[in-house]
Amino acid sequence: MFTPAPWRLITDTALWSENWPGIPRPARGEIKTRYTNCALCPAGCAVRARLVGEQPVALMGVPAHPLSFGALCPFGLTGHQLPYHPERLKQGPAHEAAEAVANAIAQCGPNERIAVLDLRPGRTASWTYRRAMAAVKNGVYLTAPPPLGGASVNLSAARTVLSIGVPVLEGWGTPGNVLAARAGFRLIQAEPFESRTAALADLWLRIKPGSGRALALGLTALLEGKAGPLTPAQAAAETGLSENQITDLARDLAHNGPALVLAGDDLPEAVPLNRLTGAWGESLIARAEAPVPESWKKAAPPTGFASVPDGSIRALIIDESVPGDYIPWNVIAPKLVPDNPVVVAIAWSRNGYGRHAQFTLPAAVYPEMTGDAPAAIDSPAAAFRIFTPLVPATAGMVDPAGFIASAAGMNASAALRERADAIHKAGRGTLFTYADAKSTPVKELKPEDFWKALNQGGCWMDAPGKPAAPVKYDEAAWQGKPPAPQEASDLPLVVALTGMPGAAGLVSPLMSKLYQESNLRLGRNRAALNPASAAACGVGEGSRAVLQTLLGRRPIQVTLSASTPPGVVEVEASPDILDICGAFSRARVAQS
Amino acid sequence: MIAANRNNKAKRYGMTIDVDRCTGCGACMVACAVENNVPPAHEGATERKGITWIRVFKVDNGEDYPGKRTVFVPVLCQQCGEDTPCVHVCPQQAVEVDPATGIVGQMPERCLGCRYCMAACPYHARYFNWWDPQWPAGMEKTLNPDVAPRMRGVVEKCNFCHGRWHAAKQRAAAAGKQEIEAGSYVPACVEACPAEAIHFGDLSDPAADVARRAKDPASFRLLEKLHTEPKIYYSSQRDWVRRIGDPPKPPMGEENLRG
Repeated sequence: MFTPAPWRLITDTALWSENWPGIPRPARGEIKTRYTNCALCPAGCAVRARLVGEQPVALMGVPAHPLSFGALCPFGLTGHQLPYHPERLKQGPAHEAAEAVANAIAQCGPNERIAVLDLRPGRTASWTYRRAMAAVKNGVYLTAPPPLGGASVNLSAARTVLSIGVPVLEGWGTPGNVLAARAGFRLIQAEPFESRTAALADLWLRIKPGSGRALALGLTALLEGKAGPLTPAQAAAETGLSENQITDLARDLAHNGPALVLAGDDLPEAVPLNRLTGAWGESLIARAEAPVPESWKKAAPPTGFASVPDGSIRALIIDESVPGDYIPWNVIAPKLVPDNPVVVAIAWSRNGYGRHAQFTLPAAVYPEMTGDAPAAIDSPAAAFRIFTPLVPATAGMVDPAGFIASAAGMNASAALRERADAIHKAGRGTLFTYADAKSTPVKELKPEDFWKALNQGGCWMDAPGKPAAPVKYDEAAWQGKPPAPQEASDLPLVVALTGMPGAAGLVSPLMSKLYQESNLRLGRNRAALNPASAAACGVGEGSRAVLQTLLGRRPIQVTLSASTPPGVVEVEASPDILDICGAFSRARVAQS
Repeated sequence: MIAANRNNKAKRYGMTIDVDRCTGCGACMVACAVENNVPPAHEGATERKGITWIRVFKVDNGEDYPGKRTVFVPVLCQQCGEDTPCVHVCPQQAVEVDPATGIVGQMPERCLGCRYCMAACPYHARYFNWWDPQWPAGMEKTLNPDVAPRMRGVVEKCNFCHGRWHAAKQRAAAAGKQEIEAGSYVPACVEACPAEAIHFGDLSDPAADVARRAKDPASFRLLEKLHTEPKIYYSSQRDWVRRIGDPPKPPMGEENLRG
């Protein structure tokens, strides 16, 4: 007992157990740094990767970057782990899919269409799809409707920001840019539930679910000073706010300008409201795009699902290789021809459209993929960044641009280089290089040096021009959202969607720190209920249950949360949930 | 104990967290896990059995709308400076305060897994490895070579990214310097915070930004009445937020019994 030997033995045993074969041992090697851009959302933040040998082991931001300011969100910080995600798609029937698409193109009738659905428009790959669809008989290029009429937002030009349900502080836009501009504006969040943005806003206005339109119309009537479709009193009744609150809000927008109103793509009423506040043409400006080669301009225009007749799409190819706006399947399905439509999804996993597609083909995940990021919604000038692969792509991956181009008989393998040359030829703007944090005018660079710098971690930014008013928003052409389900008495709960809508891509298993090991965010297939609502539904903490809406049902696991209001069920906006309900749909939770 | 280098003035590394800037995004949590080779959750892990060296809590003022206000509070090992509770109770001397840095270190190879330290820690900032660390096949290639994964049955906690401290020491030594330059050593959470809410540095250096922030009248520490002298300072311009540092004693049965 008094001899040190047994104690020493314990320590040695512990040391041995630390190295037993079950414990992974980190690889050793030369430490290197590489730069690229994040492909996980349209923000395309600058990334500094730490590598051991050729293997990335950590991702960080680039502090001097003029758009992302060194910030990366949790998804971006763990992006280097995605290639090893257990749910990742690693193989798929590429030849069979190509053959089926070729047959569909050959057999396409006069009233039928061949369509490409692009979840993240504006990329060089998007231009390839548009060119391909122009080359194919009855080709259609489909995208989700652009929010705010396709305008860019200049947050630093606003002093008051009214956000109608936009997750401004939860990953909307470029996180670093939003947070850098945050001190300069007063944020008013109009939202039924206390989201993170609502919690952090200077003022949170709790409006009734689905009453964003009424608020916008009430404010429009007050700012115009004449009767509109809704009087302020009617708007107050619909939103649950007092008439005084709406009047004060209108006064704020009128007198504490420049004021900006942010809203999602489902609220076109925000566009006239922004004209009245003076934001249109000032803090809301035309979305500038990086130059493209002249020969690309004969391309199919972006189209919304509303413009496509029901039962007309013979073949639909969906590029899901970069996460973007998810259009619910119940919007897409009626547009397909009734007899044997061909649906091909090119994706990272089967969690999105792969659940519905006839062929699901594997795509390279970030950081294996090559591509580019156009300017984000909060970038006042055009930008161009390249995702340079940090690790070689796994064998058997399908390049969506290559697949679609070859279906149209095109070769687009050099599209990125052609685009970079077109930008260089335009001679505008500067190139910011990440390794040395230097900005160089494009005019001073040779085309080869420009291309090389873009591939080694660089960002081209256009010269700031005079703000131009955004193009007219054609609501009818873009409407593609499912109709709001009718009220049903046996569906007592209101759905509150959390997380970034349409985040159909994979997330690192390490995100369990947020989703499972803490209660910071709701995980996939988990639903939060107030304890009183849960008791009324007959479910408790951890219960396996079913979320039932008018459009279908999904299995969920219940989490009790006192911060969820009674009568509300909070669920993550994952594709399988979005397929059965939109925001503020009615739902029921029952034990499974 | 590790002897302080007599040629160098002992440092007192600490952190300030501006709660008013924290957006609750969780970037600090995942950056910490990436840096320190903390594995993804075992399927049986819950918010009590998970390992989150830094964890963001959502705290509100207890009122209903329209008076309701919410903040996000990142909580990590508070790096107690006096009468460090976990050091006192460890039967294995697996917990030590480094006199050269003031960092409370945890040595998993000495830990027996008795979890006395977890019971003693008033901040619930210590975590037990209930399962062997496991990464999905292939993901072990992404482990940080500067940090050894811990085995099942031991306790772990924030150590201000000790691997980064060693790397900074090596860089300083390679440059012929005895001391780490201010700013050349920052923990992963500080580097990752997109809101720049977390600041880090030597609290004993009056010229350091973190020392100035710690002395700000808006700053406060958690459970100051325990006199554990934490080196994590929070700050908020709001009175009710500053009061969460010293909450009333919770009723019986509501304490966190993690572990």
